[in-house]
Amino acid sequence: MRLLLAEDEKELSRALQAILNHSGYAVDAVYNGQEAVEQAGKNAYDAMIFDIMMPVMDGITALKTLREQADYTPVLLLTAKAEVDDRITGLDAGADDYLTKPFAMGELLARIRSMTRRNDTYTQKKLTVGSVILDTSEQSLSCENSIRLANKEVKLAELFMNHAGIAISTEEILDKIWNNDGNGKAVWMYVCFLNSKLQSINADITISGEENGSFTLYVVGESA
Amino acid sequence: MTDSIYGGYANILEELRSMMEERINTYTKEVYQETGLKICEHLIARVKSEDSMREKCNRKGVPETPESALKRMRDSIGIRIICPFIDDIYENVNRLRNFPDCEVVEEKDYIRHAKPNGYRSYHMILELETNYPDILGNPKGKFFVEIQLRTIAMDSWAALEHQMKYKKHIENQELIVEELKRCADELASCDVSMQTIRNLIYQG
Repeated sequence: MRLLLAEDEKELSRALQAILNHSGYAVDAVYNGQEAVEQAGKNAYDAMIFDIMMPVMDGITALKTLREQADYTPVLLLTAKAEVDDRITGLDAGADDYLTKPFAMGELLARIRSMTRRNDTYTQKKLTVGSVILDTSEQSLSCENSIRLANKEVKLAELFMNHAGIAISTEEILDKIWNNDGNGKAVWMYVCFLNSKLQSINADITISGEENGSFTLYVVGESA
Repeated sequence: MTDSIYGGYANILEELRSMMEERINTYTKEVYQETGLKICEHLIARVKSEDSMREKCNRKGVPETPESALKRMRDSIGIRIICPFIDDIYENVNRLRNFPDCEVVEEKDYIRHAKPNGYRSYHMILELETNYPDILGNPKGKFFVEIQLRTIAMDSWAALEHQMKYKKHIENQELIVEELKRCADELASCDVSMQTIRNLIYQG
C-alpha cells in the first residue's frame, strides 16, 4: 500500500517514514499542503496523513482542495492537542479520522489499517469522468447507452475514475483489487473488458496501456 | 378467395426471400471455409403474412392495397440474422452492403445506440433491383427487404420482452420496465465480454 505523508517537522516526518516503511507501506513524504495536493495528483494513494499546521498551505485547505477535485482517498489529520475546532473543521472538510499529537505509533498504524479497510465508505456511489457515469451500487456504467459490470470491473472502473489521468501499474492494481492473488494476464483481461464496455456505451473515456505495464484512464481528445 | 394484399406479387416476394436467404447462406459458407468461423448462427426469413400486413396498413393509416404493401411498407420481406458474436454482425452488414443489385436505403445501429428500453439490434432496409416488373410498371422492378441482425443474447431478450408485451396492465409497470432494461444491459455485458475473450484468444 502507498501512503502520502505531509508533515513539515522534518524529524517527525523521518521517524514516521521509517516506521511506516518498516510496517510494509511505501511512503511519499512532502512538507506542506501545496506539495501534498500536487503529489496526490501524481499517484493513486491508499491513504494520506496530513499535519494541520503547515507552511504555504495548511492541511485542512489541502484536504478541501482534494475533495473539491473529487479525490476521496482516506485522509487522517494530525492535530495539536488544544485545537478542538481544527478537528471539527477537519472532519467536516472530509477527513476520515484524526490523531492528536503526541500519539503512540501503534495507534497511528491501527488507524491507518482501519481507514484503508473501510476504503470504500467515503467514496461516492456515483462517479463521473467525461460524460461517463459509474454507479457502483447499481454496478452499471452509462453514457449514451448503459451496461452492467461484473464486481471486479466495478472496482477497476472505480480505481481508474477516482484517479483519471494518473498512471496505475499492474502491481498496484493487483495489490488493490486482486489482493495480490492474481497476475498480469488477469489485469489485462479486465482492462480489455472495461475498454470494450466503455466503447459499447459510446464513452468519451478510455484506458491506455499495455499488458503488464501501467494504465491510464483519460478523456478522449485530451492528452493522456 | 379474397384478393391478396400483395396483388400478383406474392410469389415473387417468396422467390426473392429464398434468393436472399441463399445468398446469405453462401457467403456464410465462404467465410467458414476461409476462417473456420460461423458468422451466422442461424437465420429466419419470411414474407409478412396477409393479416399482419393488412393490420399494419390500418395502423399506419394507409389503404390496404398492394401498392401500400409493396412500396410504402418496407418489411414485406423480412430476414433476421442471428450471429454468435457482436463483430459478426458488422461482418454481415459489410457483406450485405456490398450486394451488387442492392441499395441500402436505411440503416439503424441500435447496438451502439441502444433503445431506451434496452433493445439492441442492427436494422437495415435494402432496395433490391430485380428482373421482375414491379407494381409501378418498372421492368426492372424494385422490392424492399428488411434485415435485422442480432447476437443470440440480443435475440433472446427481444423474444422474451416481446412475449410480455402482450400482457396489458401489468402491476409495477415501471419497475418491470426498469428490470427488463437491467437484463438487457447484463446480456450486453456478456456479449461484450465474450467478444473481448475471443479477441484475446485470436490475438494470442
